[in-house]
Amino acid sequence: MHRLSDPVLDWVAALRDGDRKSLARAITEVENETPTGNALIRAIHDHLGRAHIVGFTGAPGAGKSTLINAFVGELNRRGKRVGVVAVDPSSPISGGAILGDRVRMGDVGGSDDVFIRSLASRGHLGGLSRTASRVVDLLDAAGMDYVILETVGTGQSEIEVAGLALTKVVLFPPGAGDDVQAQKAGVLEIADILAISKADLALADRAEQQLRQMLALRKARGWTPIIVRTVATPAQGIDTLFDAIAKHYEWLTQRGVPLRQMRLKTVLAQVAGDVLRRRIELLESPELERLCADLDSGEIDYGEAAERALAIAAAGGHVDATGTCGQSLRAE
Amino acid sequence: MNEPMLHPPPKVLVTKIGLDGHDRGSRLVAAFLRDAGMEVIYTPPWQQISTVVKMAMEEDVDVIGISSLATDHLIVPKLLQALRAAGLDDVEVIVGGIVPDREEAALLKVGVARVFHPGSPLEEIVDVVCRLTAKRRTKPALSLKEAP
Amino acid sequence: MSSPVPKRPTERYPAEVSAFDRSAARWREEYSRLAPDDAAIRNRSGIEVKPLYGPDDWSGENYLDDLGFPGQLPLTRGIYPSMHRGRPWSQRQLVGLGTPEDYNARLKQILAAGSTAVSLIPCNSVYRGYDVDEVDPLLLGTCGATVNTVEDMDICFRDIALGKISIGLNDPLPFTLLALLLAVAKRRDVPWGEITGTSNQSDYISHFVANHMFFRVALPGSRRILSDHIEFMNRHVPGWNPVSVVGQHMQQAGATPAQAMAFTLCTAIQYAEDCRARGMEPDAFLPRFTFFFDISISFFEEIAKLRAGRRLWAKIARDRLGAKDPRSWRFKFHAQTSGLDLTRAQPLNNIARSAIQAMAGIFGGLQSLHTDAYDEVLSTPTVEAARIAVATQNILRDEAHLADVIDPVGGSYYVEALTDQMEEEIERVIGEIDAAGGMYAAVDSGLVQTLIGESALAFQRQIESGAQKVVGVNAFQVEEDASARASLERPDPADIDKQIARYQRFKAARSRDGVQRALDALARAANDATQNSYEKVVDAALAGVTHGEICTCLRREMGFGQPLCIV
Repeated sequence: MHRLSDPVLDWVAALRDGDRKSLARAITEVENETPTGNALIRAIHDHLGRAHIVGFTGAPGAGKSTLINAFVGELNRRGKRVGVVAVDPSSPISGGAILGDRVRMGDVGGSDDVFIRSLASRGHLGGLSRTASRVVDLLDAAGMDYVILETVGTGQSEIEVAGLALTKVVLFPPGAGDDVQAQKAGVLEIADILAISKADLALADRAEQQLRQMLALRKARGWTPIIVRTVATPAQGIDTLFDAIAKHYEWLTQRGVPLRQMRLKTVLAQVAGDVLRRRIELLESPELERLCADLDSGEIDYGEAAERALAIAAAGGHVDATGTCGQSLRAE
Repeated sequence: MNEPMLHPPPKVLVTKIGLDGHDRGSRLVAAFLRDAGMEVIYTPPWQQISTVVKMAMEEDVDVIGISSLATDHLIVPKLLQALRAAGLDDVEVIVGGIVPDREEAALLKVGVARVFHPGSPLEEIVDVVCRLTAKRRTKPALSLKEAP
Repeated sequence: MSSPVPKRPTERYPAEVSAFDRSAARWREEYSRLAPDDAAIRNRSGIEVKPLYGPDDWSGENYLDDLGFPGQLPLTRGIYPSMHRGRPWSQRQLVGLGTPEDYNARLKQILAAGSTAVSLIPCNSVYRGYDVDEVDPLLLGTCGATVNTVEDMDICFRDIALGKISIGLNDPLPFTLLALLLAVAKRRDVPWGEITGTSNQSDYISHFVANHMFFRVALPGSRRILSDHIEFMNRHVPGWNPVSVVGQHMQQAGATPAQAMAFTLCTAIQYAEDCRARGMEPDAFLPRFTFFFDISISFFEEIAKLRAGRRLWAKIARDRLGAKDPRSWRFKFHAQTSGLDLTRAQPLNNIARSAIQAMAGIFGGLQSLHTDAYDEVLSTPTVEAARIAVATQNILRDEAHLADVIDPVGGSYYVEALTDQMEEEIERVIGEIDAAGGMYAAVDSGLVQTLIGESALAFQRQIESGAQKVVGVNAFQVEEDASARASLERPDPADIDKQIARYQRFKAARSRDGVQRALDALARAANDATQNSYEKVVDAALAGVTHGEICTCLRREMGFGQPLCIV
């Protein structure tokens, strides 16, 4: 184990002390996976576990940003310190991104007790970014009472946020009545709170009905998701949302679930998967080519091929240290 | 694009301060920067200077791009003052839009890195942002709490 | 003359068919020999432009159905029987800068130069709903006049006979400037029945989409205030046009000319339907609907756009909206030459550009015209540049005699074919908006903004690549002496300070009770759909309430408008 240098410890002390510039620059190091960033992550391990991590997810257009804006406003009113992590997709062609979520949080973005950071997905497929979990940790260590996670809103983002957030809020806009049925069953599995956003629309009743029906069909679990109806502007149902989230947190802490450990394992699996995927994609080896040929001709099946590919990659491959910017997806 | 984009890509805040709301130009520039491979925080017009400083700090941006088509460039010196007061001197500010020559000289004097006029090739803006970002990154990353 | 000119091949002239085809083939062959590298050319709306148009592109055989006579359906050739020859278009130049005194002085100069109608541009602070004591003084009066109180408005129109000249107030919801103007009229004992003009910026939908600055109150509140405004003006100021549907903003934001026309017509339909939902009959409000367009330098495309729009509106008003009064079918519009085509490089070139754009508008059959000054891109125009802009219109009318013939380009194969094609494209876009649930819904959801953004990007790429040349910018550039550029118009800081001081004195001298009562009444009306909110705005102006106070009250009650932000 390397000893942590004093400058790193000083840096951690500064960001824990409320120095927002230090926090922002620490996030940059971590986002770029620099050695300094890695050192910072190791240095904060004793300071984690305070923040209630709440993930908001739902299809694009469901109104996530506006709802988060209203919710953070409520937290602000109650004197809570809030960190917000908003992830937007990087273009698979250029690698660039428009980080436009904080635009919709204009009302609360100006408060001293609110810290918003936008992250580009940088080629990560899953609704967040590869380093999102570590960024959340930094905000936790900096003393936030709540860390809000806003996902890209793709089909898989709900699953990914499940590994990271303690409380998962899934948004359903009404009016997509039939789409509620079409939602993947997995979404319902992970939701702790089901929020019917834009609940002032006429179809809200129907959407709620459908959600209750779907819940009733599910096997009973420890926690029964709470359904809330919210309107972002003018804000309605936000305190109900707050209460539901608080209730879930209470239930979690009472049960003594080793949340952090579960989270670490999930995130480790994701990061490892990412690294491995890039390694195999970028690897040029005759063994790998032969493997692909065998796969093509039907000599072996995918399961076996995957096991062999893992072995080949572990043996000979190495990943370019700069390949963190979606390069595997960029056209040459 | 001729050269490969910097890695990590430049983080640019594209915004408007003051009273004017015409944002066709700033939207185009934001889209172009994204297509060049940069990460762009784009905001609507009418941002308060204090908000711009807060955003620049939280997002740890490399460059701030101010779009000014009317006379809002007249308060850009106040933005630079506020950035300095917040310890963000290393964040460069560029201004794009309609700026009379006499007032352009005044802006450059108070520390604006560059003023772009209508008709400036967007490629040039990309180039300048990359150079400014590279310059900013030569400074050490480790930042400790400064005494007030 | 040996043989007769080959006519368009029809049943009437079957014997001529082969002669026409032979000549056409010969021309095509000679043309491709002389222009072998000829590539397809498209105009800004995406319509292909051929090298030659003839009788096979458009035939004048259905004159009455396609064109008709001026003042008669389908109205393609003009909404009035006599058009510009009977009465020339209004020269309505935008004026706005500095303090009310500055405005009054400049207005008088422009009227003396030949302008025949008034237009007032307020300061950006006014646009955002602020009074002079609420913004950084550096930003006051640089782009328009600082008008906050009835006193300011009185000074703006000193020595101007209010009942004798048409007034355009570029004042968006909640039309406080108009309210101040009506208060001034009351002061001067000018009956409201004699006031004529237009609420130039009443189109809140276009502001939400494209010009954000003008958008102050949330969408639902805006919808209500506009309908109240229409009702109030119809009843109390019948000579006023309370609705101006503004295609200019969409086009300036990047919509193609066809899209801009389509969005404008859809917005007009939306407003008409909102009025009908209130129980108003179409013929009660449609005659006072007016329009406002941008004229780009795509010369023929603009002419075709405006003619197609006029023909379409007549159909929409009569068939879709059920209007029976012929005055409801008339497409009355003001147009402004587009500042987007002007350049900072070699600014004097802009004089030529404005002239060309103005010609397109005149041939398009406008009722009122503003020509940009050549230094528009640099700052508020100098007196000299503003004079040249007015002179341009005088030259077009008096020297080039453009007003002497009604619809002079009518019957041109190209113009008529292009008018038909533009109409088709416009109708296609209208169909898209209808499918999205109408203009209000399409804008609320962001569809229109997305379409405009795509067009803006596409056009920018054309310029970046050099496919669209802009003289002085990406073609024919020269080294210029920067100091030779036009001088800067900035208000005197001392005058601004005096303006702020006067404003504060005005507020101090008012009856506080009267002001408070008026504001309370306004706030109550904002929350009560059975009341007319605009009536209370006017009452407030009469009681000495300022522009900023009215806007603040309505924003508090109805919500601050934040337009969608789509990149």
